[in-house]
Amino acid sequence: MDIVTGLAVVSLMGAAATIAGAAEDLESDIGSMSNPNSQVQLAPQMGNLHRIFNKAVSGEPVAFGTWAGIAGSVALILLPTGFGPLFSIATGAFIAALVHAVFATTSHLGRTTGSSRFEQPLFLDVVTQHLGPIAAHGFIVTFCMVGLSYLMWTALGHPFPLPMLAVMWGITIGAVGSSTGDVHYGAEREYQQYPFGAGIPVAIHGDITRMAELGARNSIDVVNFCAKYGGPLTGFCFGLIVFLSFWTTIVFGATGGVIAGIVIILLLIYLNLRIEIFARENYGEYKQEKMEEL
Amino acid sequence: MVIDPYTLIAAVTVGGVLVGGGVHFIPVGGAPAAIATATGVGTGTAMLAAGSGMTGLITAAALTGQAPWLILASGAVGSMLMICITMLVGNLVYVFGVGCVPVSAKVDTDPITKLPQEKFVTPGTEGHGLPTVCYVSGTIGGALGGIGGGLVYWALYGALANPIFTLANRTDLSAAMVAGIFALSVFFVNAVIASYNIGGTIEGFHDPKFKRIPRGIVACLIASLVAGIFSLFLLPGFLGGI
Repeated sequence: MDIVTGLAVVSLMGAAATIAGAAEDLESDIGSMSNPNSQVQLAPQMGNLHRIFNKAVSGEPVAFGTWAGIAGSVALILLPTGFGPLFSIATGAFIAALVHAVFATTSHLGRTTGSSRFEQPLFLDVVTQHLGPIAAHGFIVTFCMVGLSYLMWTALGHPFPLPMLAVMWGITIGAVGSSTGDVHYGAEREYQQYPFGAGIPVAIHGDITRMAELGARNSIDVVNFCAKYGGPLTGFCFGLIVFLSFWTTIVFGATGGVIAGIVIILLLIYLNLRIEIFARENYGEYKQEKMEEL
Repeated sequence: MVIDPYTLIAAVTVGGVLVGGGVHFIPVGGAPAAIATATGVGTGTAMLAAGSGMTGLITAAALTGQAPWLILASGAVGSMLMICITMLVGNLVYVFGVGCVPVSAKVDTDPITKLPQEKFVTPGTEGHGLPTVCYVSGTIGGALGGIGGGLVYWALYGALANPIFTLANRTDLSAAMVAGIFALSVFFVNAVIASYNIGGTIEGFHDPKFKRIPRGIVACLIASLVAGIFSLFLLPGFLGGI
């Protein structure tokens, strides 16, 4: 493969990964997946009943590995039937979205039932309102993930089969979303009644924000906020991972790619140091008395 | 390159130990980190390690057929890239989305940058974000995990593609697939063992919990050795394997 075609394929993969990353984070915000959900689960135990969707019965990486694997497997079966890759991948993503919706329903019902001893009600309108956005975002993620895996499999000639690539990228996107965008949900949106600019002290754990701009807050209000920062950053992160993982090899070759990768890693370490110093210089030290006023 | 069964067992064992050891370097704060109550990446140990390992495995497998050192180096770079970009973007969320300083509560000064830590920690928390020492530690962990995963993949692919064991209808593609799935499994086994040893959260090599690493390595060594022996059953015609 010539370098221009290779770069075009890798760019397309990066674009698909960016969309998938953003949608993945937003899906985990609507469904309250992953680690910030510990506070949603804790809230009723602290006497704070809420209308937040709660479906974290599995780690985000494993869950998205499963959705992408289902979509990839269905797509692989449909590919030889002559429907074309786009239709096959879309059908795979649709089937995965259906399974996703079933999972979201049963896990939310199970999670809420588990909190019934703390008098947490099950709101059926919350279930029906949130299922559509959850399945839709899941569809976007699996469509893009299987799409980029298909590009790797066919255009780049990767030795792993399509479903396996989809599972592996699914696990990776779950890890990325769980590590980056979810912090925006957990450390900021869940505790918005507290002042901006600090970590969450253990003393206020479980006291999540339950009121929205109008009425009681639900997870659609959460995603409306996180779509402005956490979601796009997650997309940027995953897009960059997919793009840089292959860009170096295509441009510099196998050995040159390893050296270029190490140079990029050193630059990233320096960039992280600059961000740390920026935060120190601009935010300053914490003052004990201010936190005690909380 | 033809891989004999003894080399395969040794490679799976060493690869597993590298993965298990590498996980101890990765700064993970779990649920507390996801709400800026603890330093580290806001996800589980095994999950982040697996995420970076998968990227390493995909980049390592992309160089199937190349020299062994190149496959291992490619795995390490892919894994490091994933974890470095994730930690950097994670810090962007902590700094600009949450408004807190990346800081460790386990040390008074950062061992690498010598920057003071204590005064920047939000009272009532155990730090937040990823200061430089955690970042560097995570990069080392990513490298070890990538090399370990790549080593398992390379050895099993070499053994499965071995003409002595290969059946007439077995192709290199199926060898790559089986080797990939097995490397993925070895990765998960050792990542989970290491997370049990860590017990939830760890900031990196400067964390007092890091002293538990010898015990974790022994456990990973035993588990990987067993996995290595079982990997022989994957070889066609060997001990009645498929």
